[in-house]
Amino acid sequence: MKEKAQKQKIVAMMPVRNEAGRYLKEVLAHLSRWVDAIVILDDCSDDDTIDVTGHFEKVIVYKNDEPLFASNEPAMRRKLWQLAAEEKPDWIVAVDADEIFEDRIINEIDLLLDQNDFYGISFRVFDFWQDPASYRIDGGWNPWRKSLLFMVRYNPHLDSQWMQREVHCGRFPQAYENRIAYYSDIRVKHYGWLNPEDHYRKYLYYRDKDLKVFGEVRPFTQSIQTPPATEKWRDAKNLYFLDGDR
Amino acid sequence: MKGKVGILTTNFFNPEGNRIIYGGAERYGFELTKLLIDLGYGVRWWQIGTGWKKELLPGVDICTIPETKNDLQTFPNVNQHFYEQAMDVDYAIYFVTFLAYPQVLKKSISISHGIFWDYPGFDSQLPTEVERKEWLRRMHIALGGPQKIVSVDTNTINWANATWPNLFHKFEYIPNFVDTEQYQSRIAHPDKIRVIFPRRLTYVRGLNETVRAAEVLTKKYPQVEFHFVGRGHTDQLEAEALKWASEHENIYYYWQPPHAMPEILRHMDIALIPTKGTEGTSLACLEAMAAGCAVIASPVGGLSDLIIDGYDGLLVKPTPTDLIDGIELLINDKNQREKLGANARAVAAAFSMERWREKWTKVISEVFD
Repeated sequence: MKEKAQKQKIVAMMPVRNEAGRYLKEVLAHLSRWVDAIVILDDCSDDDTIDVTGHFEKVIVYKNDEPLFASNEPAMRRKLWQLAAEEKPDWIVAVDADEIFEDRIINEIDLLLDQNDFYGISFRVFDFWQDPASYRIDGGWNPWRKSLLFMVRYNPHLDSQWMQREVHCGRFPQAYENRIAYYSDIRVKHYGWLNPEDHYRKYLYYRDKDLKVFGEVRPFTQSIQTPPATEKWRDAKNLYFLDGDR
Repeated sequence: MKGKVGILTTNFFNPEGNRIIYGGAERYGFELTKLLIDLGYGVRWWQIGTGWKKELLPGVDICTIPETKNDLQTFPNVNQHFYEQAMDVDYAIYFVTFLAYPQVLKKSISISHGIFWDYPGFDSQLPTEVERKEWLRRMHIALGGPQKIVSVDTNTINWANATWPNLFHKFEYIPNFVDTEQYQSRIAHPDKIRVIFPRRLTYVRGLNETVRAAEVLTKKYPQVEFHFVGRGHTDQLEAEALKWASEHENIYYYWQPPHAMPEILRHMDIALIPTKGTEGTSLACLEAMAAGCAVIASPVGGLSDLIIDGYDGLLVKPTPTDLIDGIELLINDKNQREKLGANARAVAAAFSMERWREKWTKVISEVFD
């Protein structure tokens, strides 16, 4: 008979900047239910972000001396990765301050990780748009057609070089991005587009990056300003019979 | 290293390489790869694809052949590309029988995962007598090439023996496997009866019949839950399945990685394998048996190699009515449910991973050494 597996150490890593009035509290509360440590790298917030993180005992906070994310995202991600690695994780979760896994993860995470077959786990991301009950589905926003790598098995022997891109440089070192991942059906709720007031500010950020890198505004960036098609979120049932305590 | 084995398949991943297929055949592929490595061989996979290359396991690459032409249910261009490109390969395994048409490497084995020409739409794909004759001719060539054909069920061997008796000695019966060590004791849940459909969401697996049964029986029996556990062939189908399940209190839709299935199955009571065609000795069926579920299967493909009707499961015609009758019988008869489950668990021991590896090792040594 198979023996009950040892629980594996899961460390979440998260870049933050001025997240106090947004979703950080909810994100940290949820993460605290299923990870062992949350390593946060603060990119020079000038609001109460640090105070919010202080309410969560699993959080370990580091601060940048100078803002880094906007000017060199790969460097910021790599620094965060190295800080997370110092916690000696079995698995590292890369999560942003506006992303929440659906509740199924709490019951299922230990079962998911109790294997040697895959090095990473990808999840579908649902971009909530203007309404906390609906997500965007048109064109490149369609969450059913794409998965993102959120979780990898930490291997100190793998190279930690990052993809050198101005934006969308990946959340993990390139060596991890190239490996075969499992595609989970557990969904990630992304609230970064929920507030319409953020749209124009984000559009300008990505427009400037596009112009710098490609010399033109890419269709996906343009789509931020076009009327969206949305779909209603439906909760998946929790597998209540699995043991999810951590 | 004893030498390099090239394994040719159609789709381990989708042709674009961004979606792995988690079917029984792919899990078979992983286990076969591990066995070959344990025996001292190097392994490289080839499949249809757009030019990408991935590492399937440490040191095991999967390469692609940019040919998609399906010609009378065979892939002669893929076969030819493999033959010409795999020059550093010492031995070949044709992971699907028809991939061995027309040419095979000198030392080669092919695998039959079961009869696929009982697929409900197969006849219409070869609509004329000329096409059917030509397909048969090609199948004969494909089966005649490799030194050995490993068949996962007796159904295929019987058909081939009745059709081309000269091929009989090429066939080796190695039924599919289940790692019985992974199955712990069952979890009691006296207030619930859980029914699982542990298959990919395709109509040939009896999906629509099971959907009907789930809607009828969850309405009639509030203590009954239905769990649909498997990926769809398309993203859209998965989205629709989740929406449908969310509209029914006792119907669940999700999928799990293969290693998690023993844990899921120990919470289940009845497993449904109501397949309509293209079935071998289903891994899903064997896993449900090893977990001690009462299995309701159909007398299709190799399932009757696993299930003796009334002893370690029930064999029913895959129609909504027959399926509902069979499930209802087991909902209302706890003793029968438990007896079938206990017998299934005992029978599953005959399909152990250990026996599978021993039989494959013998075939490999006869052909490759």
